[in-house]
Amino acid sequence: MPTIRVTGLHVRHRKTVALDALDLDFGPGVHGLLGPNGAGKTSLIRVLATVAEPSGGRVEILGENTGEQRRRGTVRRQLGYLPQEFGYYPGFTVREFVAYVAWLKEMRTADAPAAVERAVGRVGLADRIDTKVRTLSGGMVRRVGIAQAIVNDPRVLLFDEPTAGLDPEQRVEFRELLRELGASATVIVSTHLVEDVAAACTEVTLVDAGRVAWRGTPGSLAALGESAGAAGSAGDNAIERGYTAALRAHRDSGRPQTLEGTAR
Amino acid sequence: MTVRPEESTGAMTVRPERGADAMTVRPEGAAGAVTGGLLLYARSRTLPLTVASLAATGALAVWAAHGLDAYLDPSRRVPVVALAPLLAAAAIGASLYSASEELDRTAVRPWWRRRLVQLLALTALAAVLLPPAVLGHVSSFGPPAMIRNTLGCTGLAAAAAALLGARLSWLPVFGYVSAVYMGAAGVHGGVVPVWAWLVQPAGEWDGWIVALVAFGAGGVLYVVRGARPEGPRG
Repeated sequence: MPTIRVTGLHVRHRKTVALDALDLDFGPGVHGLLGPNGAGKTSLIRVLATVAEPSGGRVEILGENTGEQRRRGTVRRQLGYLPQEFGYYPGFTVREFVAYVAWLKEMRTADAPAAVERAVGRVGLADRIDTKVRTLSGGMVRRVGIAQAIVNDPRVLLFDEPTAGLDPEQRVEFRELLRELGASATVIVSTHLVEDVAAACTEVTLVDAGRVAWRGTPGSLAALGESAGAAGSAGDNAIERGYTAALRAHRDSGRPQTLEGTAR
Repeated sequence: MTVRPEESTGAMTVRPERGADAMTVRPEGAAGAVTGGLLLYARSRTLPLTVASLAATGALAVWAAHGLDAYLDPSRRVPVVALAPLLAAAAIGASLYSASEELDRTAVRPWWRRRLVQLLALTALAAVLLPPAVLGHVSSFGPPAMIRNTLGCTGLAAAAAALLGARLSWLPVFGYVSAVYMGAAGVHGGVVPVWAWLVQPAGEWDGWIVALVAFGAGGVLYVVRGARPEGPRG
């Protein structure tokens, strides 16, 4: 039973089409969203996070149609979202900022303080919890962003470029956290880093020009890369070669392509 | 509470614990955290600074009215009655800015109630703090004119916040008030035109209508749409 079901999704930004008749579903686990710049990854994440309105189609999250204003509140309580760039009031400490988001999510007030501490602890910032967010380094601010996304123990988690700005060690830790979260929640991670996908994701969706170019497991993308390596696809490792080969095949065919047995 | 010790011993063992629970946990946990959330909201909208700015504007208006000897000549009150609401509207407009706009959109509750309360409360505060500067004998540029101008300017700032973004919301109001102030300087005697409602004597109806329409329309625009996003997706 998928937790997210997207049918015929259309998103427009002024005159350009960001997403074009997209049909997708996601179940529990960690899903990598790969694709070139401008492919529509952020547009998809924002629509799923209920912060952007689609121009057409239907989005169902946890069985609720997010097109209905009244249903959105139910979904948002169980949703975590890390935008590519999130702002914060400069006077807030880490604790206050995460508590503010817990308040937005209407968390039970008795549970919120402990949940805030737990979330901050999970991203390794327990010793900085009473530090002003604005004094933290870029990587730490990113981790504060991850903490606010997980504060309400969401069943659906949407991360837009979560590893941008993290150093290699922090990225390894973040992937560990992703695997942990993916054990119970549906986690969608938009990224440019194929290493993240290879290490932490159970499934990969490749988006290009507003359409699904390829879906499968990281293993099958690597396998595609192995076979494409001989054909001269660019990339330093199997999964990168798989990425370029799948993109090229999609562009050549001009329509969505799925691999038998690996697509959902 | 005073009755409980006289109750049966069976109930004694349980009830005081429940009572203690309710006393220690609920007020600090539930009610305390609710006010905590609202306090964080108020701080994120720089409401303490806004209230201080409004108070300072009120004090400045008193000082200016005194300096201009406005109590001697009611027409000397015009700069105070036009400029103090401009400053108040600029402070209120700036407080409509949210630094975390993208995350705010994921709030479970619809925002319109909080926006409405914030706008009305700050406007009411300004309407209370500014008129004392022009108190005194009844005149054309007394407290009613100050309240009218506060409503009108705040409405313009709220509309500008919805259309341009909260951080720039002072600019159209500033431009408009400056234009009216300079333009109206040429109008001597005669009837002050509607576009110069800011410097109309308070007795004129059309000035009130324009100010109320500006406040109503600007307020509704802001409450329904919120301030225009100013982040990377603005």
